[in-house]
Amino acid sequence: MTAKSHDRVQVVDAERQLINWLGLGLFAFLGVVAVVPLFLIISDVYIKGIDAINSLGGLWVFLTELPPTPYDESGGIGPMLVGTLYMTALGALLGIAVGFPLGVYIGEMRKEKFANVARAGVNVLVEFPTIVVGLFVYAVMSLAKEDLNRYMLGPLSNAISSLGEWTPRFIGPLDNVISLLGEWIPWFIGPLDGFNAYAGAVALTLIMIPYVALITASAYASVEQPLREAAYATAGREFNALFVVLRKAVSRAVLTAALLGTAKIAGETAPLLFTAFGNFYYAPFTGPTGAVPLWIWYAAQTPYDVQIVSAYGAAAVLLTIILTIFIIARIRG
Amino acid sequence: MAKIEVKDLRVSFGALPVTTGVNLSIPDRSITALMGPSGSGKSTILRVLNRLIELYPEAKVSGEVYLDGQNIFDMNVLELRRKVQMIFQIPNPIPNLSVFENVALGLKLNRLVRGRRELFERVKSALEKAQLWDEVKDRLGAPAGKLSGGQQQRLCVARALAFEPEVLLADEPTANLDPENTAKVEALFLELKKEMSIVLVTHYPPQAARISDYAAFLYKGQIVEWGPTRDVFTKPRHELTEKYVTGRLY
Repeated sequence: MTAKSHDRVQVVDAERQLINWLGLGLFAFLGVVAVVPLFLIISDVYIKGIDAINSLGGLWVFLTELPPTPYDESGGIGPMLVGTLYMTALGALLGIAVGFPLGVYIGEMRKEKFANVARAGVNVLVEFPTIVVGLFVYAVMSLAKEDLNRYMLGPLSNAISSLGEWTPRFIGPLDNVISLLGEWIPWFIGPLDGFNAYAGAVALTLIMIPYVALITASAYASVEQPLREAAYATAGREFNALFVVLRKAVSRAVLTAALLGTAKIAGETAPLLFTAFGNFYYAPFTGPTGAVPLWIWYAAQTPYDVQIVSAYGAAAVLLTIILTIFIIARIRG
Repeated sequence: MAKIEVKDLRVSFGALPVTTGVNLSIPDRSITALMGPSGSGKSTILRVLNRLIELYPEAKVSGEVYLDGQNIFDMNVLELRRKVQMIFQIPNPIPNLSVFENVALGLKLNRLVRGRRELFERVKSALEKAQLWDEVKDRLGAPAGKLSGGQQQRLCVARALAFEPEVLLADEPTANLDPENTAKVEALFLELKKEMSIVLVTHYPPQAARISDYAAFLYKGQIVEWGPTRDVFTKPRHELTEKYVTGRLY
């Protein structure tokens, strides 16, 4: 190689490196643009939220007490937290129970015509405005409530509440357990109001189902053919091949989907507006039920400082719940 | 009498014919090699024998296949797959499962064993027959993915053997293995053929020459020549066969 061409190579290299740096710099900048708002939101919520929780009486008070009235100096989000945990847990369980098999169906049964219809439907549902889902559940609940109460829940709750007046028949702790059940079960089962936790949970379920189903379907669809054949050759029944053997292969993706879906519905506000409605008190889940996002939505727009402050505390709690689920999903997934 | 009898087997994927009238009889307690270039229909025939072909919705199958004189399309598919097990080109242990669980899973799901003791014995004997026991006996709980490629393939053999099959189908089982592990698997097959009938698909003629008793040469979906391996390799009756076994057709 002559000296001249060697120089030329160096010039080209320098040029290339400069362009490389510029390009990398641009991408890094885009990364910063994406990350900065996230950190601003998180730090803002935690700085104001932690102050708020301290000023309203500390963490335990904040997590358990009733929300502050405009004239209170302390208070919390106890009823809302319980409502959020209950509805999210119920919604996530139902969402996984329906979404996972549905995902297997639309992912594996591509020879079935209806599976394609279901896939298209799920694709639409996943982008549905969540407030419409809430409105739909509200409408169904209004229609179904009367009959449900008259023929099922009414008689059932009468039977259960009679347990509260249980005349001791057994000797020892069994009687205590039965009468305790009689006291506690009405908090969960009974005639429904137009607004109740179950309607909220169903709305959250409807949001969760397509989410879990789509991720499950794509996880199953990405299973390589040799593994699928091994599953069928080993498992015997098709059910076992799909739900036992192949599930082991995709369990991580499905677990991640379940956790992220749970995080998603834990923070949902719109679908709860017409279904759970919100409540400031500890009350049976058969009636209007509070939720943390609903309280943030309500409290942040009141004119009372103490309630606005409590909205920040509630936001910090909600963010903690969601970030915790995210971190679990990152570690396990 | 032949263990498996294939009569006028025609398979097509959609409009594309893959095999056009295959007749074949596979003797018991011996290794039958199906060899031929890519796309000649070897793997497809194999997948008909345990009806895994039914996983491909676009595949159309006609013709008859008899296992011990019984038409496999009339048999219960679960029973058929218990008797006719398969190993694949790519070692495919079930991910996220331990070595032990990989072998045990099929037995458990098909309820072939009663109790933990019997399960352990069956798994142990399958791993021993697959000549893997000595290498994994101290790490039965380790994830199967941690084994080497050759060990994973023998684990898949053990998983198949756990069913105590009568026929073992092998679809290019050494295509992804190094020469040492290939030799191990071939030695294993020579041992296993004492108890069962093995159908070996290979696109590597020397392998068929080394270990098979009977060899069939397939070309474009038809059997060009079939007979004892020695005859097929030393006195081929067909020009195509001669070209193939001497490495001039691929």
